[in-house]
Amino acid sequence: MSVSIGSTSAPVPSPCKGVCRMSADGQVCTGCFRAIDEIAAWSRADDAFKRAVWAKLPAREARYAEPV
Amino acid sequence: MSEVVWPPGMQVFERGWVSSNNIFFADVDADADADTGAGAKGATLVDTGYGAHAAQTQALVAHALTSSSLSSLTRIINTHTHSDHIGGNAALARAYPSVEIHVPVGEADVLRTWDDAALHLSVMGQECEPFSFHQTFDRDDLFRLGGTEWRVLASPGHDMESLMLYCEEYRLLISADALWEHGFGVIFPALELSNTVKTIGGTGSSAHASFHAQRATLDLIASLDIAQVIPGHGAPFTDVNSALARANARIDGFIADPSRNDRNALKVTLAFLLMLEGRLPLASLPERLAGLPMAQILNARLFAYEPGALANFLCQELIKARAAKIDGEYLVVA
Repeated sequence: MSVSIGSTSAPVPSPCKGVCRMSADGQVCTGCFRAIDEIAAWSRADDAFKRAVWAKLPAREARYAEPV
Repeated sequence: MSEVVWPPGMQVFERGWVSSNNIFFADVDADADADTGAGAKGATLVDTGYGAHAAQTQALVAHALTSSSLSSLTRIINTHTHSDHIGGNAALARAYPSVEIHVPVGEADVLRTWDDAALHLSVMGQECEPFSFHQTFDRDDLFRLGGTEWRVLASPGHDMESLMLYCEEYRLLISADALWEHGFGVIFPALELSNTVKTIGGTGSSAHASFHAQRATLDLIASLDIAQVIPGHGAPFTDVNSALARANARIDGFIADPSRNDRNALKVTLAFLLMLEGRLPLASLPERLAGLPMAQILNARLFAYEPGALANFLCQELIKARAAKIDGEYLVVA
C-alpha cells in the first residue's frame, strides 16, 4: 500500500480522526467525540464496549460539533 | 488478541496517525523507599504524541495516574525524536516538573542544539515545543516498566537512532515506527533532505544503507518471541509474521526502486497536513504545498510538477489510498 493510514486488525475500528483536542468543557474529543476514559480504554476494550461507544458518538457530535 | 497479557499497570493510548501512540506504565516498584517500602511510586510514559495534541495527552496521563492512585508522571521515554513522538514532552514537563526525560543516545546532539533540519520540523511544516532531556539510553539498556524488565533494541531505518523496547517475560515489543501492522514509517535518512542527515558508517549512499538497516531491523524483530507488537501508530497487533511479510516486501520494493520511498514521503507530507487540519480547501493546496520544503524537494526530484498539477496528483493519490476524499470544495480525511 502506498500510504499507511488508519489500518487496524480490530474488527471495530478506532473512531480517531487525528484531531485529538478536547472540547472546551473537557468532556469529549472534538474529533471523535469520545471521552477521555473511552480513549484511554480503547486499545484493550472488547468489541461490545467499542460498539457501545460508537453508538454514543452521533448524539455527542450533534451536541458538540462546531459549525465550520 | 484478548489472550495477550500485559504487565500490571500498563495502558496503551491509541492515538491515530498525527500523534504517536503513548504507552503508560504505573511503575509500582520504582523508587520505593527501601526502609519503609512506602511512597515514591513512579509512572512512565513512552512517547508523548504531537504537540498540537498535548492537552489531550496530558488529560490521558492524568486519567491514568488517577486510576493507578499515583500523583505524578516521573519518567518519559522517547523512542526517537520525531515531532509526533516528542511533541507532548514540554507540556508534560510543565505539568509534572519532576519528570525525567530519557532520549536515545544518538539523538542527544540534535536535541541539545534543537537542530530543526535533523528534527524534520520546518521541512514538513511541523511544530514542536523544545524541551530539555535528563538522561540518554542506548541499545541493551534495561528499563523496569510495569514491574517487569524491558530491553532496549536498536532499530535503524525509519530513523537511524530510533530504539525499541522488548519485554521477554510478556513477549511484547514496543516497535515505534520500525514496524506497523501495515508497513513502517517513511525511511527518512534515504530522503537526503539536507546536509545534516546523519551519515551511516561510511557504507556508501545513505539511501542504500538506511534501506538495508531497516531490513536488518525487521530481521531482528523476526528473531524475537513476540505475542503482540505495540506499534507507534495503529492498534496493537498479534499477527507479527504477516506484518513482517508485508514490511519485508515493502523494503525490498524500496531497495529495488528507491524512488518509491520518495513518492511515499511526498504523499505523507500532504496526508500529515490534512490530518492535522481535518479539511483543506482544494484551492489552497498548491500554496500550502509550496510552503512545505519536503514536498518541494521531493517533487523537484521525482516529477517537477507545476504547483496545481502537484496538488491534483497528491489528491488523487490520497483518495486512491482511501486516506482522503473530496467534500465539496474541500479535501477531507476519509
